[in-house]
Amino acid sequence: MSVTTRNSLLDRVWEPFRQQPGSRRALLLMAPLMVFEFFVFIAPFLMLLRISLSKQVRGLPYEAGTFTFEAYSEVLSSEFFHGLITYSFKLGIIATLLTVVLATFYAYAIWRSEGLTRTMLLFSVVLPLLTTLVIKTYAWVPLLAPRGTVNELLMAIGVLQSPIQLVPNTTGVIVGQVYIVFPYATLAVYSVLSTLDWEIVEAARDLGASRPRSFFEVVLPQAMPGVAVATVVSFAWSVGAYAAPGLLGAGSDRTFAIEVETQMLVGFNWPVATALSAIMLVLMFVSVVILYTALNSVGGDVSHGA
Amino acid sequence: MSKIELENLSKSFGDLQAVDDVSVSIRDGELLCLLGPSGCGKSTTMRMISGLETPTSGRVSIGGEDVTDKSAYERTTSMVFQNWALFPYKSVLENVAFGLKMRGEGKQERREHAREMLTRVHMDGYEDHNPTELSGGQKQRVALARSLAVDPDVLLLDEPLSNLDKRLREEMEIELKEIHEEFEKTFVHVTHNQDEAFTLADRIGIMNEGNLVQVGEPSEVYHNPKNRFIEEFLGDTNFVSGEVSAVDGDGAVVETDFGATIEFPLAADEDLSQGTTVTVSLRPEFMSLDAASATDGGQKTAARADGNGSNTVVGTIDTVLYRGSTIRYFVETNGESMFVERSVTEEGELDEGDAVQVSWPAEEILVFRPDGTRVET
Ligand SMILES: Nc1ncnc2c1ncn2[C@@H]1O[C@H](COP(=O)(O)OP(=O)(O)OP(=O)(O)O)[C@@H](O)[C@H]1O
Ligand SMILES: [Mg+2]
Repeated sequence: MSVTTRNSLLDRVWEPFRQQPGSRRALLLMAPLMVFEFFVFIAPFLMLLRISLSKQVRGLPYEAGTFTFEAYSEVLSSEFFHGLITYSFKLGIIATLLTVVLATFYAYAIWRSEGLTRTMLLFSVVLPLLTTLVIKTYAWVPLLAPRGTVNELLMAIGVLQSPIQLVPNTTGVIVGQVYIVFPYATLAVYSVLSTLDWEIVEAARDLGASRPRSFFEVVLPQAMPGVAVATVVSFAWSVGAYAAPGLLGAGSDRTFAIEVETQMLVGFNWPVATALSAIMLVLMFVSVVILYTALNSVGGDVSHGA
Repeated sequence: MSKIELENLSKSFGDLQAVDDVSVSIRDGELLCLLGPSGCGKSTTMRMISGLETPTSGRVSIGGEDVTDKSAYERTTSMVFQNWALFPYKSVLENVAFGLKMRGEGKQERREHAREMLTRVHMDGYEDHNPTELSGGQKQRVALARSLAVDPDVLLLDEPLSNLDKRLREEMEIELKEIHEEFEKTFVHVTHNQDEAFTLADRIGIMNEGNLVQVGEPSEVYHNPKNRFIEEFLGDTNFVSGEVSAVDGDGAVVETDFGATIEFPLAADEDLSQGTTVTVSLRPEFMSLDAASATDGGQKTAARADGNGSNTVVGTIDTVLYRGSTIRYFVETNGESMFVERSVTEEGELDEGDAVQVSWPAEEILVFRPDGTRVET
């Protein structure tokens, strides 16, 4: 008799895992992902680091087999690169602030709505994720153009006398970037809010908290894990922004990601491009850790003063 | 002064009429229990008093002031929620101090105040705990302290004891009563537990399907239920149906389906016509139960050859159920089963299979018309 039910098949697959102690079993289960990560992230990154320590030469991406910190000192000492890094972080901070505030309120609105409204609100967050990045970013051009929808509208209602430039410039970049990360931030906050008990807000109101006060006193502290994730995702993505500044920005809207591309493909200067990437990675890593720790200490700490 | 007036209060959710034209005046310092089955609109009524729900129509006034258009945070009521609704990211002390913080009380002062409240509900020592670490009974105390700390004119309690086990619930009932006496506030307490309502209430308001059916003191509600629903809801009873066979100046006779005759006095202005089908409630605690042999020769059974006389019936004990302090005897009589409750002190006098005679006093009979209304007796 050789009847292989689905169960027994699964059992057989599970067999080698079952005999392992708990921690080793977890490792084994994670192994495929770790192998994948190694080949697509760690190994290329190590190669990238090696290239960043090579000599720059004309006519070739880099000179193999050489070892020098030349590219790093060039990036770290040049005003041009400083400006680039500053711009990237400024964009990251502004876009993140806007995104997180908007996303938190939007998520709150979804949480508080019911039935069809809720479905519609949720669907409209997810909808942009169904289009490719380039198309949805470019879609802002006709909207923000001098004679585009936004300008026409503002003039029609009398806010503006003549059209203002919204694109291509920093305003366009920020709008586009916020738009790109907004769905992820909203979903991160909403996923936490949806687990909250509305009665807690009612209890706060009943005890004399006004609407805004009850939000800041009881909703926000509890939503903090979601807000933290939203912040980190928005920040990391916006500092490394590529599509929005590329498509909606002026020549001065250069993020480091755009510069890396230019250095690689136009300048053919791989050591500088990779050194810039490595430096940004370190800066990003440090700021994300600081950000996350700071955000986590705001919510969820019981010993804070009453 | 914190009496509450509800005037023609209604609330509907779409097609559903959750509260239907409720009017009641709750006295200053009174403990009113709203009692009713699940979904009858108790919480909704309570939430309209607190301001968490806006009435579809009708007015709410507290202490003589119309507060219908005031939001929850402007009202001087405080609510203890069914699931306590403690703030999970705040310590026990912060929870209790929350209302005072909203009021702008200084940090030192409100902490002091909150500590006193925690001591009052025997939760001192738990100041720095997180509410999630507490047991149900402890959470309930913290929720109570949190609501009392703001010194509300009206304390609203929405089934705060329903998640506690029986022993703890009874303990808390007594404590609540003490707190009510000590704080001298108006309390509105929602429950679907009859015992809880009878233990706590100064007056009980019974709700059904959005209507406030009867409001009265516990004894009033118990002895004089307004309709069949209340009689059924307040406790287990024997409902027997029958037809009115005779009506005279001051009494009526009902022939039941199982052969017993029920006689009861009739109120002067009550008109009950012969032939009406009525439901009679025979309360198990008022019925007497005797071994049939003991009364065999007596006059009671002499009326009928089969032993079924007026307000008496004979049968055999089918089942004996021990329910703690009482014993419930199920008596089988002409294919009908009815039950009688006796104190456990009479244990052992009767047993399953014994022939017995069941009788009931005519003045404790409750009679209801087919539409559920009471026939005045
Ligand atoms: N926000 C709401 N939206 C729609 N229907 C509601 C809402 N709140 C209550 N209801 C309905 O109104 C009716 C009364 O509800 P309510 O909560 O007042 O009952 P209750 O007497 O407190 O019941 P329970 O003892 O189960 O708590 C129920 O049928 C309920 O489904
Ligand atoms: Mg309820």
